[in-house]
Amino acid sequence: MTVTSTVRRMRLILGPTAALLFAAVQALAAPSTSGVACPGAEPEALDWLDRMSRSSHEVDYRGVVTFQRGDDMQVMQIAHSVTGGSTSEQMTRLTGQGAQVERADHPLECLHPGHKLLQVGSGLHEGDCGIAEHYRFAVSDGERVAGREAVRIQVEPRDMYRYGYILELDRETALLLKTSTIGRGAKVLERFQFADLAYGQNEQSSAAVATVHHAAHPNPAEQPAGQSVGMDWNPHWLPSGFMITDAAGHTDRRRTYTDGLAVFSVFLEPLRGDIRPGEGVARQGSTTSYTRGMRLAGQPVLVTVIGEVPVNTARMVADSVTQTR
Amino acid sequence: MSEQLRESLSALMDDEANELELERVLSRIGDDDDLRASWSRFNGAREALSGQSRSLSRFDISKQVSSALASEQASSSGRWQRMMRPVASFAVAASVTATVVLGGQQLAQLGAGDPYDGSRSVAAGVSPVGFVNSLGATPVQASYGTRSAVPALQPATRTAYSELARQRMTRYSQEHAEHAALNTPQGLIPFARVPRITE
Repeated sequence: MTVTSTVRRMRLILGPTAALLFAAVQALAAPSTSGVACPGAEPEALDWLDRMSRSSHEVDYRGVVTFQRGDDMQVMQIAHSVTGGSTSEQMTRLTGQGAQVERADHPLECLHPGHKLLQVGSGLHEGDCGIAEHYRFAVSDGERVAGREAVRIQVEPRDMYRYGYILELDRETALLLKTSTIGRGAKVLERFQFADLAYGQNEQSSAAVATVHHAAHPNPAEQPAGQSVGMDWNPHWLPSGFMITDAAGHTDRRRTYTDGLAVFSVFLEPLRGDIRPGEGVARQGSTTSYTRGMRLAGQPVLVTVIGEVPVNTARMVADSVTQTR
Repeated sequence: MSEQLRESLSALMDDEANELELERVLSRIGDDDDLRASWSRFNGAREALSGQSRSLSRFDISKQVSSALASEQASSSGRWQRMMRPVASFAVAASVTATVVLGGQQLAQLGAGDPYDGSRSVAAGVSPVGFVNSLGATPVQASYGTRSAVPALQPATRTAYSELARQRMTRYSQEHAEHAALNTPQGLIPFARVPRITE
């Protein structure tokens, strides 16, 4: 339990004075982290996140992953290998749709912003606390996952604009074995988990596949060939710590943002006819799709924010979309 | 206005406020000049924009809500009421949200000029979200256990927009997953969220 939640609880039970006193005593008793500019940053956790991000690129592995959302469970096969400085990955659905996603020849040195945010390690610079500014971390021993000893990292958001996570990493390789996304009220919104895992180079999947999607790996510094909507637009508010993932142009219909753990995309759709202003939400697991009908400089548009963030974040981002001149 | 209070206010708009947060906003809006000022400034900006003189900023919702909560508490004696209390207080919370929401909708209609015109100014210190919240409050929940009827909020538009959001989720999920897969530590796993993967 964190100090804050203890204080909150105490305030309920004992009243504000006792809670304040408790907070003050805690502050005095807390070990002084002299020299560290980021109070509350857990160097051990940041080291693990750094290793996790690197191992997701550099390690050869193959395994079976389950994905749970409420009562729904999917099973898929994951394979990842590194050959001559570039990685190749496959995700094959073993239940439901016979589909495969493949991303080949992705250069190892091509580091996307989400991973850059995770690879800060414990070398935090003064005044720049990276991801520790937006989440609190706690490292503990995890249970076994897919037969591997795991380290458990509890990731608690510092504001209400993102979800929390429980990440379980392979103690030996730092590979991410299990992710639980935690919503408000400690509710588990979805969970990815390896059921079986083997390290080393492996043969291709033999599963029956009807659809193969070749995933893109654009250079984050180059402007993607997106569809233009014919107007300059931008969300003027983002939750702190989120940065754009690629060099999307001012008129592209899509922008994507990440804080290293969460990602959301904003889509703009100019409409031919007029629309009654309004908003709608659809949710699935940790994914929110928020659509707002509005006018942007006289032009009726639909703004959709889709991503693994709370509804309120999506609404605030959509609300801040304006035309830029 | 503290960040915590701002979050509570935001949560209230999102129907995600727990009782503690609801209480926090309600107990402070009477005393916190900053909070009230933010609220009025925001409404003022809207009014100026729409050229309407009817002032919603002087519509004091907090008093009505406080008295609703008080009467709810007063009536919570007896075994049956004790049992029903969690349900009832939830209903009060929901109806409070519904009232705030309703205020927001009227607000949006007042600003008939062009409430979504991007060139509008947003009052400093106020969250960029307007109180245009047709979600959050579900009329069924709100009317559950409350004595006063909570008006329905344009059900036709709401249903249409929910459907739009669902369709957009299907339409955009693969493109979103494409970028999520590059920027989160899960590798290609975010594609599992795509209902139907296409080539």
